[in-house]
Amino acid sequence: MDRSDVSAGRLRRSPRLVAAVALGVFALIAGACGGASSSPANTTIEYSIWGDPAELASQQAIVDAFHAANPDVTVKVTVSDWDSYWTKLETGLAGGAAPDVFAMDGPLFPDYQSRDVLLDLKPYIDKDKYDLSQLAEQGVADFTTADGGQYGLPRDLNVVALYYNKAMFDAAKLPYPDDTWDWAKLVEVGKKLTIDANGDGSPEQWGLYTETSDMENYWLSLVWQNGGDVMAPDGKTTVVDSPQAAGGVQFLQDLIYKDKILADPSVFVDTGDAFEQGLAAMEVNGSWLVPTHIAAGIDFGIAPIPSGPAGRFTSVNPTGAVVYKKSKSPDAAWRFVKYLASVEAQTKLMELKAALPVNKEVLNGAYATSFDGAQVFADSLAYARLKPSFPGYTEFNTLLQGELDTNVFAIGSDGKAPNKTAQQALSDITPKLNEFLAAR
Amino acid sequence: MSRTPAPAALGRPGRIALGLGRDRGAGGASPRTIGSDRRWVAFFLGPTVIGLLLLSAAPIGAAFGISLTDWDLLTAPKFVGLENYTSLLSDHRFLMALRNTTFYTLVSVPLGLVLSLGLALALDQSFRGIAWIRTAYFIPIVTSATAIGLVWMWIYAPTGGLLNQFLVALGIQPQRWIADPFWAMPAIIAISVWQGLGTSTIIFLAGLQGVPQEYYDAASVDGAGRWRRFRNVTLPLITPSLFFTGILALISAFQIFDQVYVLARPGKPTDATITVVYWIYENGFNFFKMGYASAASWVLFGIVGVLTAIYFRSQRRWVHYQ
Repeated sequence: MDRSDVSAGRLRRSPRLVAAVALGVFALIAGACGGASSSPANTTIEYSIWGDPAELASQQAIVDAFHAANPDVTVKVTVSDWDSYWTKLETGLAGGAAPDVFAMDGPLFPDYQSRDVLLDLKPYIDKDKYDLSQLAEQGVADFTTADGGQYGLPRDLNVVALYYNKAMFDAAKLPYPDDTWDWAKLVEVGKKLTIDANGDGSPEQWGLYTETSDMENYWLSLVWQNGGDVMAPDGKTTVVDSPQAAGGVQFLQDLIYKDKILADPSVFVDTGDAFEQGLAAMEVNGSWLVPTHIAAGIDFGIAPIPSGPAGRFTSVNPTGAVVYKKSKSPDAAWRFVKYLASVEAQTKLMELKAALPVNKEVLNGAYATSFDGAQVFADSLAYARLKPSFPGYTEFNTLLQGELDTNVFAIGSDGKAPNKTAQQALSDITPKLNEFLAAR
Repeated sequence: MSRTPAPAALGRPGRIALGLGRDRGAGGASPRTIGSDRRWVAFFLGPTVIGLLLLSAAPIGAAFGISLTDWDLLTAPKFVGLENYTSLLSDHRFLMALRNTTFYTLVSVPLGLVLSLGLALALDQSFRGIAWIRTAYFIPIVTSATAIGLVWMWIYAPTGGLLNQFLVALGIQPQRWIADPFWAMPAIIAISVWQGLGTSTIIFLAGLQGVPQEYYDAASVDGAGRWRRFRNVTLPLITPSLFFTGILALISAFQIFDQVYVLARPGKPTDATITVVYWIYENGFNFFKMGYASAASWVLFGIVGVLTAIYFRSQRRWVHYQ
């Protein structure tokens, strides 16, 4: 759900998105008309992704390069915003007419795989002697099943780090964040950078911005950094009510209500990312925000996520490309999926700066110097853990996040403090979550 | 209020609204109409009836079938009998959605009716430019819900929002509106009432213009003041419009979805404004529980059906057809 959380930013761009979708549809129609006249050996496959026009352009460039190398296969790219992407996919799958290849979010993968709509690529991998070890393990793992199936290849990786606004640090004569930072340092510097010059109680400049509305943006990392976890090792129950896990979530609540370096979620819910608007000095968030921040004209740097009592952890979440089980051209689809993870395609993907390449040759090579801060992202994989991924994740997350949004992060019914502490809320919701997990 | 003939802009469409329920009375139809024109009746009603059967009745029936199953849209449905319905009774999130929807309906329907009747009375004038003013009130209806949502997002923004700037200028403490679980639902109601104002007002306006001027003249001669004329002439004669508007408002209130989806869906920023249709959407398309979502649709259908039936039965007590 991480992408939906930047929706305010996306909404502002929506006319262009609509135009892009319209163009995509037009291309599809034009392509379908043109297809009839091309040679019968030509195979056409559809590739669906979520994203914005920039991502479409990037993926289109990859597709064009694929066409140059594979003249017998035509790939049509269709793009939708995050929410409509999943609705369209569901409808397509139910109607038996889903795209041949489509993008898949790591945590949502089990829900689709378990419903038997994805093609196991293992036979193709074996036949081609395709070397999976050329791809980052964390990316591959999310699309591997317990019985050894491989239902997709990773396309890119997303990690969480600390962005900082250089101008604001310079103005306050503070050194930039580095790999020595921990929770205490974040709070200390955050307070110095939270400026309420007119004393009206609502700062004109916030020390920190993050999104509380999905675990991936920050609180999942905090839980790990405090020695807790969301899921038990067997993945069948949740342990998010442990004192360690609650402590991590509590740290985030305290940033808002005790340290007051982070605005409560209502402040920027409509206008979007405060860091992007130049209203916050730091932001803990995903690597996907780099192009957005560049486009906003922010002069920013990237530092590792600050470490907690139990060490430094961040979350990694791969986006993959999967093949529809009923695809009429599975061979062409497999060739394309393989191509998406190739050095050539990954180098093009890297240029967008929106995600980490998953191909090790690019990730450990050209990527690190492709922009200022890319090295931090690449290094962070060493202490990154996978975002939870299991069947029923969406509903589980809705229940859990709903409790946190309403009672832990938002101002409560008294208009001042949240309704519950992190421990109270997590203890309240955990029996319901475990009941839900047990029923599946 | 001095009565003048209806301006051409609206062309007295009041008869359309008044025609509802005509079948109960003797009606104006001459004896030959139905018999000889039966084929024409079939011809004109056919497309609508076929459309209703194919596009409404069939899916509604299918949804009932689905509601008896456990179905994730992709794998084969599994028959579970009434289990989905019994689960709903103890699903606290569903019950919360039902509570929210009921609150929304109870407040928004009467409020919308009163305001639009008032507006219709105010607009029931004849002067240069009245047609433009009337059109202005109709604009929200032809504007997309998303565009409206975005504008209201700006109005309600906790920092720098239009409404809060206004309050601050008046020296009133700014509020967090959508972000505040207490204010979120009232804020949504305000948008919906504003958005629905045009439709109801047009119907009321038509009803008002269908009231013959002679009745007002007669009442005035009898010494009735403005309030008495409204209470004893206008109100009884526009009860058909009131009835019609009420039923539309009631049904659409139970289906509240788009404002919630755009402005206040769970996580934006709290869970406080979930409504039944949002819950159905979420369960069907996010959680892949088509059976469960269909069961909730049928519960909603049942509630709306019962209320509509009660409302229809009540009309003989308070609705007067001329």
